[in-house]
Amino acid sequence: MNFTVVNKNISVDNVRVTDVASSAIFLVGDAETISLSSAFDTPPESLIIGPFVPLARA
Amino acid sequence: MLKRTSVVKNMKVINLGLSSILEIGDSYSIKPRSKVWALQRQFELFYGDEGHFRDPVFTRPLPKPDFDEPVHFVRYNESPTIKVNNIFVTAVAVSSVLHVGSTQLIDSESRVKHIRQLLHGQKDNDE
Repeated sequence: MNFTVVNKNISVDNVRVTDVASSAIFLVGDAETISLSSAFDTPPESLIIGPFVPLARA
Repeated sequence: MLKRTSVVKNMKVINLGLSSILEIGDSYSIKPRSKVWALQRQFELFYGDEGHFRDPVFTRPLPKPDFDEPVHFVRYNESPTIKVNNIFVTAVAVSSVLHVGSTQLIDSESRVKHIRQLLHGQKDNDE
């Protein structure tokens, strides 16, 4: 596969970001390879309603 | 190949945490990793030794794309600069990267297990 990119003038005045989180990037520049992975686990059993017993310990 | 230069006049970041990177200048390879075991209780009660990282969300390999695809990449940088006047970021967290400059590879992973514990409520609503 052939892929050609022509980068012309780029000029940005103002950027406002609230949050960059969970394997995210904010990049001002060039990159060859970017690989971002994120796993978030909150299954039904992660909502516990009842007395505050300690959870599994290490 | 003529490399591009990033020009940022003004940058303000309030908070940087949990395996995050703020890089000014070029880099070669950035690989942040983070594991978070989060427990929210309806009122403050923490034993200090709870939790472990043996759950599948922390151990299972994350699927990743292949990078060995044969691509003939040609880039013409007609303008040698990327200009930004002003950047404001409130927070960077959990394996995230704020980068001004060029890089070769960014490979980031974050794994989060989030548990909520409530004192009252209807139990028959869930499951």
